[in-house]
Amino acid sequence: MSGFDFESIKILVVDDSRPMRSLIASFLLGFGVKDIYEAADADAGYEKLCDLDPDIVITDWRMPPTDGIQLVERIRTDVDSPNPYLPIIMLTGFTELHRVKQARDAGVTAFLAKPVSAASLYKRLCNVIDDQRPFVRVGGFFGPDRRVPRRDKPYDGVERRRDS
Amino acid sequence: MADNRHIVNPPNRLGDRVRRTGGPTPEQAILRALNAAEDLMDEYQGWAVDDLTKLWQAFEASVDGTPSSTQILQMFEIAHGIRGEGGSFGFPLVSVISDSLCKLLEDKKTISRPEQEVIKVHILAMRAVFRQNLHGTQPKMEGELRQLLTLLRDRMERRA
Repeated sequence: MSGFDFESIKILVVDDSRPMRSLIASFLLGFGVKDIYEAADADAGYEKLCDLDPDIVITDWRMPPTDGIQLVERIRTDVDSPNPYLPIIMLTGFTELHRVKQARDAGVTAFLAKPVSAASLYKRLCNVIDDQRPFVRVGGFFGPDRRVPRRDKPYDGVERRRDS
Repeated sequence: MADNRHIVNPPNRLGDRVRRTGGPTPEQAILRALNAAEDLMDEYQGWAVDDLTKLWQAFEASVDGTPSSTQILQMFEIAHGIRGEGGSFGFPLVSVISDSLCKLLEDKKTISRPEQEVIKVHILAMRAVFRQNLHGTQPKMEGELRQLLTLLRDRMERRA
C-alpha cells in the first residue's frame, strides 16, 4: 500500500442535494476517510464547522438562501471563524470561467466541477493536501495566494542570471 | 509601487495529519469509492424521477399564462441540481441536457412561447434518457447532443 492515508482527517460536506451529499460521503468513505460530516445549507455548515473543527470543507455553490460563496467568505474573514486557513473545495455545477474566478476571489482553495467522479474528487483532495500556498490579505481579499505559478509551460524568457 | 499585500504562512495542519504512505494506492482508493457508492447509483433513478416530476410541474404551472420570474427561477434551480447529479450518478447525457436547459433559463425574467416549447423538449429528452436507461460515458453521443441543443437554442434566440 503506498497512497495517502486519510484515516485521521475530518471532512465536512455542505450541499443542499441529499443525493450529492450521500455520493460524496460514500466516495470519501471509500478513500478511507473515517470522520465525514454533512450539512444541507451554508448556515448549518458554518455551525458544524464551529462545533467539529474539520480539516477540509467541500461545499456546493448554490444553496438558497445562503450560498457557498458566502460560506467561504465567512470562513475566511469572520472574526469568529474557527479556522480562516481551512482548505475549502468548491464543488459546483457552475463551470463558467467567471464563476471560477468569483470562487477564487472569495478564497476557495480548489474548484471542482460537477458532474464529479471518484477519480476527480480523489485527485482534488490530493492537490489540496499538497497545496502549500501562503495566504494573502490584500484589499478586501483574504485567501490562498491567487498567483499560482504556471507549471505546464516552461519559462521561455531570457535567463538573465544564467546568460550573463 | 507600494505592495499592500500581507502574506501569512499558515501551519500545514492538514499536511501533518495525512500520512503520504500507508494508505491504499490511488487505484485501490478509487475502486473502493466506486464500490461504496454502488447502492446509491442504483437509487439515483428514483430521486431523478422525483426531480423531473417537480420540473414538469413547474413547467406546466409556467405555461398557464405568463410565467413569473419566480417560476423561471424554480425551473432553473431544479435543472441546475439535475445538471450536477446526472453525470455524477452515471447519466452524463442528462447533465448535457440539463446544462443546456440551465443556459436557457439562467437570469431570464420572462420566457416566450417558442422558449416554452424548447424547455418542453429538454424535459422530455431527460425523461427519455432515463426510460431508455442510457447510462455510462458516451462521449460521441454527448458531443452530438450538446451541438444539437446549442443549435436549437441559437435558432430560438434568432426567432425571438
